[in-house]
Amino acid sequence: MKYVVDRLVYLIVVLLIAISGVFVLVNKMPGDPAYGLAVSIAQQRNMEMERALEIAHKLMGIDPHEPLIVRYGRFISNLLKGNFGYSSFYQTSVNEIIAKALPWTLFVISLATLVSFLVGIYLGSFAAQKRGTIVDLVISGIASIIQAIPPFVLAVLILFIFAVRLRVIPLGGAYPVDMEPSFSLSFILKVIHHALGPMFATAIPQMAAWTLAMRGNTSQIMEEDYIRFAQARGLKDSIIANKYIKNNAMLPLIASLAISIGYMLGGHTLVESIFNYPGIGFYFGKAIAVRDFGLLTGLFSLIVIGVIVATFIAEIVYALIDPRVKLK
Amino acid sequence: MRKKRFSNFFYDYVQPLISNKKSLVGSIILLFFILMATIGPMIVPLNMNSDFANRYQRPSLQHPFGTDYFGVDIFQQIVHGSRSVISLTLFASLFAVIIGTVVGVARGYLEGIGGKLLDAIITVFLVIPSFPALLILAAIFADTKLNTVEVALIVAIWLWAPLAKQVAAQVLTVKSREFVEASRMLNMGLGYILFSDIAKLLIPYIFVNFVTQLKSAMEFSIGLMFLGLAKFDPTHWGVMLNYALYQAGALYTPKGFHYPFFVILNIVLLIYGGILLAQGIEEVFNPKLRGHE
Repeated sequence: MKYVVDRLVYLIVVLLIAISGVFVLVNKMPGDPAYGLAVSIAQQRNMEMERALEIAHKLMGIDPHEPLIVRYGRFISNLLKGNFGYSSFYQTSVNEIIAKALPWTLFVISLATLVSFLVGIYLGSFAAQKRGTIVDLVISGIASIIQAIPPFVLAVLILFIFAVRLRVIPLGGAYPVDMEPSFSLSFILKVIHHALGPMFATAIPQMAAWTLAMRGNTSQIMEEDYIRFAQARGLKDSIIANKYIKNNAMLPLIASLAISIGYMLGGHTLVESIFNYPGIGFYFGKAIAVRDFGLLTGLFSLIVIGVIVATFIAEIVYALIDPRVKLK
Repeated sequence: MRKKRFSNFFYDYVQPLISNKKSLVGSIILLFFILMATIGPMIVPLNMNSDFANRYQRPSLQHPFGTDYFGVDIFQQIVHGSRSVISLTLFASLFAVIIGTVVGVARGYLEGIGGKLLDAIITVFLVIPSFPALLILAAIFADTKLNTVEVALIVAIWLWAPLAKQVAAQVLTVKSREFVEASRMLNMGLGYILFSDIAKLLIPYIFVNFVTQLKSAMEFSIGLMFLGLAKFDPTHWGVMLNYALYQAGALYTPKGFHYPFFVILNIVLLIYGGILLAQGIEEVFNPKLRGHE
């Protein structure tokens, strides 16, 4: 229990440092955060820039003469209340954007992570047990080559080959623009169809990583004394392979599964931007492009919170699996 | 004395790398690209003048990789760009190793509140998802023209933390050993203890880490250039890829397919070389992975 509380306090400190760092960084970005909003107000209402800037500042709750530290204080207190800020580009609260975007992101990354984990575990332990044979060479060789392709390059390739050239997947969006979201079968099928591109672009690099990690763990465990001992006891190879080797090799990976889902929240940025898939990463990329400071800090805080929560879960899971961790 | 040191270096580091198949192939690939970056630009001239009559030429003897949207030879650009790709990667990895070692050694050696604080900072950089953070930094510097060292530093900020954590753990186990105690008793000074006594033990560690992070360094820097967020060398492969896909729309015209293809091919080959070398080195220096091969 003391371990849990210790880690929790520690991670909250880390979270605070990380979010503060990003707040300062983003507020150091060149330009007035309200400028973009002011331009659109000036155009919409046909008024002078100066006046529009004033309105924009009021709308976003920014006083340009206010020192950074006061703005920071309000940012943190808002976060504590669960208010992630105001987006000047979309002219709505960041919470609203998160509510709209997060389900898509979670849908894609959880499915992609789950599938790639299961396939990776299987391929990795299979390769390790066939060590040195041509099967192992092919599996780990292909996994290494996939790792050499930067994820955004892979995403671009998938988009252009399957969406532009072959036209088997759509070019963007989470569902067809002319359809109303509903729980009908045809709508669900469309949603899956639209998620295929980002899903494969996310799953393939991960699958390669899980495969190589599992292969490494399995090979290491196969050298352990207790495996030799089990063999000496005359246990069946299949029992040793599944109960002794596979499970033990998989345990540390299960802990990193949580972390990996957390990181995917952030790592998904490019994939979603490339596929125009309306998740968190897409809005994050947009926020950078249009210099929407409020949206940027809000989404980044969300991502960091996600990663920290995932890290915490992973640490707890790891401590449950391996009691030695607590002793450290 | 110097000769002996050199032969030690050869037996400790070079020979095991040649005897391992993966690291040998990886080294050959990387050596090829290093040669391309060092002497390539001297042999292959670069002519960036547009020549619209020759746009999107297929690969031929005259243009081994064909020509781009502006009729410029792609092979020439790849060769000249390799210089900034490689130097950026090497600098970024080097900076990451330096920062990681210094912070890690300090964290391992310092006790009390200073150590705790350093620990928290290391964790912050471990926890923050690198790519989004890198994007923000890049956006801040998007309008400034940066040189190699500056871009490398921006990339290195997101690479050093894992090494710092490993080094700190190593230092913690080492610092109570006799020879460190001896140095302390002899009043050798903190700097001597940290960077002579302890760092010596860490060299193989740091060496492995330098190579393993080459991959991320390449990926990050190419990603930055690809997104066009940092102004840089127009022949950098990331910038070339950006031109190919977004400016020239090469994939939308069947004629231009070879343009992004050759850029991607070189990127993947280079990173693959780095991965092979890293895997080989890990097998060499971490005998547990070698098993019964």
